[in-house]
Amino acid sequence: MKKCIVFIILFIMMILAACGNDDSTNANQNNNGEENTDSSTVTIWHNFAGDDLRAKTVRDLIEKFDEENEDIQVEAEAIPVDGYRQRISTVAAAQELPDVFFTYAGSFTERFYEGDLIQPITSLINENTEWADSFLPTALEAYQYGENEDIFSAPVGMSSTSYLFYNKSLFDKYQLEVPKTWDDFLDVINTLNEQEVTPLALGNKAPWVAQSTTFGAIADRVTGTEWFMDAVAQEDASFTDPVFIEALEYFKQLVDAGAYPEGANSMDNTQAEQYFLQENAAMMINGSWTISSFGSTVSEDQLNNIGVTVIPSIPEGEGKANTITGGPGGGFVLNSNAEGEVKDAALDLIYALSNDEAQKAIAESDSMVMYDVEIDQDKVSTLYYEAFELVRSVEFAPVYDLHLSSGAGEAINNGLQEIMLDGDVEAVANKLQQAQENAQNEE
Amino acid sequence: MQNILKVRYWLILSLMPALLIYTVIVIVPIFWSSYYGFFSWTGTTDPKFIGLENYIEVIKDPIFWRALKNNLIIVAASVFGQVPVALFLALMLRKISLFQRFVRSAVFLPMVISTVVVGLIWGYIYNPQFGIVNSFLEWIGLESWTKSWLSDPSVNMYAVSVPIIWNYIGPYLIIFIAAMQNIPSEIEEAAKIDGANGLKKLIYVTLPMMWTTIKVAIVLCISGSLKAFDQVFVMTGGGPAQSTELLATYMYNNTFVVYRYGFGSAISTMIIIISLILIVVSQVVMKKRNKKGGKE
Repeated sequence: MKKCIVFIILFIMMILAACGNDDSTNANQNNNGEENTDSSTVTIWHNFAGDDLRAKTVRDLIEKFDEENEDIQVEAEAIPVDGYRQRISTVAAAQELPDVFFTYAGSFTERFYEGDLIQPITSLINENTEWADSFLPTALEAYQYGENEDIFSAPVGMSSTSYLFYNKSLFDKYQLEVPKTWDDFLDVINTLNEQEVTPLALGNKAPWVAQSTTFGAIADRVTGTEWFMDAVAQEDASFTDPVFIEALEYFKQLVDAGAYPEGANSMDNTQAEQYFLQENAAMMINGSWTISSFGSTVSEDQLNNIGVTVIPSIPEGEGKANTITGGPGGGFVLNSNAEGEVKDAALDLIYALSNDEAQKAIAESDSMVMYDVEIDQDKVSTLYYEAFELVRSVEFAPVYDLHLSSGAGEAINNGLQEIMLDGDVEAVANKLQQAQENAQNEE
Repeated sequence: MQNILKVRYWLILSLMPALLIYTVIVIVPIFWSSYYGFFSWTGTTDPKFIGLENYIEVIKDPIFWRALKNNLIIVAASVFGQVPVALFLALMLRKISLFQRFVRSAVFLPMVISTVVVGLIWGYIYNPQFGIVNSFLEWIGLESWTKSWLSDPSVNMYAVSVPIIWNYIGPYLIIFIAAMQNIPSEIEEAAKIDGANGLKKLIYVTLPMMWTTIKVAIVLCISGSLKAFDQVFVMTGGGPAQSTELLATYMYNNTFVVYRYGFGSAISTMIIIISLILIVVSQVVMKKRNKKGGKE
């Protein structure tokens, strides 16, 4: 009996000891970690995990930096794009962000700024003025926060989300002109429907696609950029305004005209790209990421058969005609906890990933940058080059979900799906307004 | 007496590690999470105490009730799909021993496949352009029946239930086969002598002998379906326009897409409460039936 009790007590103590041990080893690890960071270990998380050219290029840049700087150890973690936002948000909530991490422009980065989780990289900008001046207008401003107008990141990409791709041979076959205005566009859609060719491929299973690629550009043409920015700030404009309802109506016109294939809401983006490449659809509205995935799946000839232009203008609208939604893409930011040598090393790393050389390397991997580079036409595909020239000749319009709060982004994404399922336009506008209002009040 | 006490101590002692681990990784987080439900927390800024607001918002949100309804569809599909089919197969397999191995492995196979793969496979099966469901319907001349199964809100909830049923018949089949083999042969022989055979034997001997197992299977089924997430998340992600939203996808989207960690925690607490209610109700219902059976 006694033995038993002793045994139990011993056992409990053992467990407690084990737990205790666990804690102390953790603490040790933390200490070690800090010691290591004193001898300059920089952790970096990014989403360049894929097999596409750009991802490889960025990974190579990180590796090169690691090799060239013997006193700095880089611990990189590549996280697939689909789960990246979630992973970063979760470690942010747990206060375990890496020293340097990749972020997206707009409300995603703003959250880190508001939570005081990132620090400015102003010293880099001041030390390398020539580099800073080579960024295209608005590139650095996208990462400017606070009263001092500190800059928190330098974008390593350009997001341009609304190109109208069209199949040249199908257009020839049905004697169609590339649509310039909204009415032309609807005519083309009707003709294609008569010929039983799907007018527009769309893979809206992940519901951001319709919003980011199509609706943002349409809405900007209808409402104008200024109105949208006011509505985001909830100053003198609301998403229940008639002008926004009108924008939603334009999108509904596309749906009602039968522009999209059946089941577009259960197709993913890759399937939609295939659908377009197999000539089941004559057009597709999609972002610059499509260019590199086209490039990796079809032959040069097929690629030359694809034309690229901007979404047709809406003459009745308040906004400008010749715009593409987009702007500065993602960039690397610096954890506010980084200090001393780690901070220096981290800054070096950020510079190495966004300097002249890096921007050129990224541009030549078939992806757009917000930096003044001359690209070698032989090194990139023709489609990319056309798109690159196109984007330089147009103005940018805001991408909806980059500016809206996460809740409002979700609301418009789901709302567009609802409209595609014959939902009520005004109800969608109400929900969006509600979500953005809530987010603004919480701040 | 000494001995019994000793055994009891040993029992407690050997249960201790598992119990401790279970408490730390299951029980404590449940309460922790319901505590987070009282905060407005985006994950980046400091949490702000807002009392019951999150819980009230959950209850007021029509999407939550839609998610619950969808979950109940899955529960119903599982309880009335998986259990009867598994029971039927188990009974058949006892009769025809030739195919037993083959059918048993065939039915169990989907269980071995990762649920993500199941989701992807069925996503292709349902694909409106090249999926075999629509191709088959066209082939037999029922073109008017073709649908975009996963994006048409009038059918997509039923469409996503099918893979879930298909996925989980296997384990119930195995459980039922085991239960059937555990029926003592004396009883069967006695039944035979008393003249019970065929359907009579099934209703008065086999099923009552298996009833406890069936009950366990139903409880497993209900709790399993309330957790349903993976296949639906892969096939539709809760969409389009939240028409296939389940409690778990609703929680996931609010927590990790909209970054409302407090609200998400409140939803998970509600999920636990609802699960407990459903399990208790199902237990009570089945107990009543049991008593009735006993009286007869």
